[in-house]
Amino acid sequence: MERRTLLTTLVHGGSALVGAVIGLSALITGIYPALRGRRGERWRPLGRLEQFLVGRTQAAVIEHADEGEPRPLSRQGVYVWRPTAEEVVVFSRSCTDLGCPVIWDAGSRCFFCPCHGGIFARDGKRMAGPPDRELYRYASRVREGVLEVDVYSVPPMA
Amino acid sequence: MAGERLKEIAEWALDRFAVKPIEKSLMDRRVAKGAWYYGDGAALFLLFNVLLFTGAFLSLSYNPSMEGAYPSVRYITDNQTLGWFVRGLHYWSAGLMVVMLVFHLFRQILAGGYKSPREGTWLIGVLLFFAVIATSLLGYVLRWDERAIYGLRVALNLLYRVPLIGESLVLVVQGGPHIGSQTLPRIYAVHVIFVPLLLLALIGYHMYLVVMHGITGPTERTRPVASSEEQRRLYKADALSEERGETFFPYTAAKSGAMAGVVFLVVLVLTLVLGPGRLYPEANLVEPSFPVEEWWWSWYSALAALLPPRLATAFYLGFPVVLFLFLVALPFLDRSPRRGLRNRPVAVAFVSICVIAILSLSSLRARSPWTAFPRAEPPPVPDGVVLSPQAEQGRHLFAQFGCNSCHPIDGHGAQFARDLAATRNVLSHAEFRRYILDPPEAIAMPSYAGRLTDEELNRIVDFLMHVQITRHR
Repeated sequence: MERRTLLTTLVHGGSALVGAVIGLSALITGIYPALRGRRGERWRPLGRLEQFLVGRTQAAVIEHADEGEPRPLSRQGVYVWRPTAEEVVVFSRSCTDLGCPVIWDAGSRCFFCPCHGGIFARDGKRMAGPPDRELYRYASRVREGVLEVDVYSVPPMA
Repeated sequence: MAGERLKEIAEWALDRFAVKPIEKSLMDRRVAKGAWYYGDGAALFLLFNVLLFTGAFLSLSYNPSMEGAYPSVRYITDNQTLGWFVRGLHYWSAGLMVVMLVFHLFRQILAGGYKSPREGTWLIGVLLFFAVIATSLLGYVLRWDERAIYGLRVALNLLYRVPLIGESLVLVVQGGPHIGSQTLPRIYAVHVIFVPLLLLALIGYHMYLVVMHGITGPTERTRPVASSEEQRRLYKADALSEERGETFFPYTAAKSGAMAGVVFLVVLVLTLVLGPGRLYPEANLVEPSFPVEEWWWSWYSALAALLPPRLATAFYLGFPVVLFLFLVALPFLDRSPRRGLRNRPVAVAFVSICVIAILSLSSLRARSPWTAFPRAEPPPVPDGVVLSPQAEQGRHLFAQFGCNSCHPIDGHGAQFARDLAATRNVLSHAEFRRYILDPPEAIAMPSYAGRLTDEELNRIVDFLMHVQITRHR
């Protein structure tokens, strides 16, 4: 091999190698949150079941405090609907269109999205606006009289 | 004697710092004359520098932690001497940069500025466009108020719709399974390190290409140019000619600088009159909130509201991708030899439609007739209407049962549903009752069957009967 060709190959190859070592390692550590996925305690208490009245839709708060998250985002609002004594539905406040916070209107018994006119019925079904699916529902269970939700049962940004 | 010595020192410095070659090849070069609005590039360059400078000084006091971010922005705005002013300059420069960027883009489409041999200049420009648009969102997320967190959540919801890797993208941006302590440092890093470095490199390269390939000159604008060789010949003739060309410094620099100066003046006036971007309550996920995007996103927000749900995902993901592909492909699709806006009716029509659409969608967003929201206050009694005691009870029930969350009365209240003081056909008592108990399927109105007593229903209808013809009187 000619000296010139060899040196050219070495310069190109060497640069590519250095670039790859730095670039790839930085990229991999940068996307670590996706590699790690959603781990940690998934069940969070919402409060004692009896504070959620049958036939009502009420605001409740998930506390993320056990992860050592600082204020103010350690608290996340949700809505709890108890259609019957046996049944509890926990809705995310996140509009399924673009994530604006839906608000419960006890008068009309609808959820309104303040951004683009999304309206959801009491059972979370879409009634109007751009959302293309119903409100996200958390998986929930009752343990020793306390209503708990699985925070990983809805999309991570919901 | 001293004068001689000073001159010598100056000569020495110019030589040792190799200033002369730059002066000769940049400042003293002959260029084709451009119109006054060719200063939009210089304006963008100035705004970028204002943003770099003010941003650097804001970052001295900004705290990119979830707990500290909002208080630090408040501190900069309320306590630091001239903090509000520097933040205001940063905010308005960012907004005007988006405006000028769109202006710059449209101007190049109008004139055919992407035609050979300037395809490279254009493609770098397309990358710049997307980088600036992206960072214009990240910047206001750093304020960490309610507008910030819901702006971020909109971006996350868009990313979530990406097929296959949507959830991973959300996790990468959030820095974890929910918006938490890892989120803000990431946004901060991208806004103050990644994007500015990228912009610096790309802007430098873009300007180098502008120097190498020039601007769309006077002759090019008037006659068809078939090849890059022909363009280069014409440009050179323009640049060297007495009436169609000029020396870059100070003539072109002064002209472009004048426009940049005017744009900066606008930034200054807006900062002094309106102050920095409004701070909403601190970011939280508990309080009811009425988030609104920054004004340069209004048109997009209006589009989002008007879309049928079936198209939502296709639009949210498709729009930026199609826009990117369209802009990248434009120089290769448009092979006509005609340049200059007078010779390009299709481009003029296209840009006019875009401008009209952006302005009318933004104005629609400002009115937002599509949002319903709970209101505790009953609607005021329309002028000239006297309510019976029963109808007055109905007016309060109208609010109690959330009718006024959607229906305005004589223009007062949410504009989501029909104004009941201006019904198209006058309804009878019985018709109103039927409608409330059993609304048509296609209407986004809940049925009140089983919720209202007969008495309550009659009172509400009494109220409606009183007001329904207000507008027709």
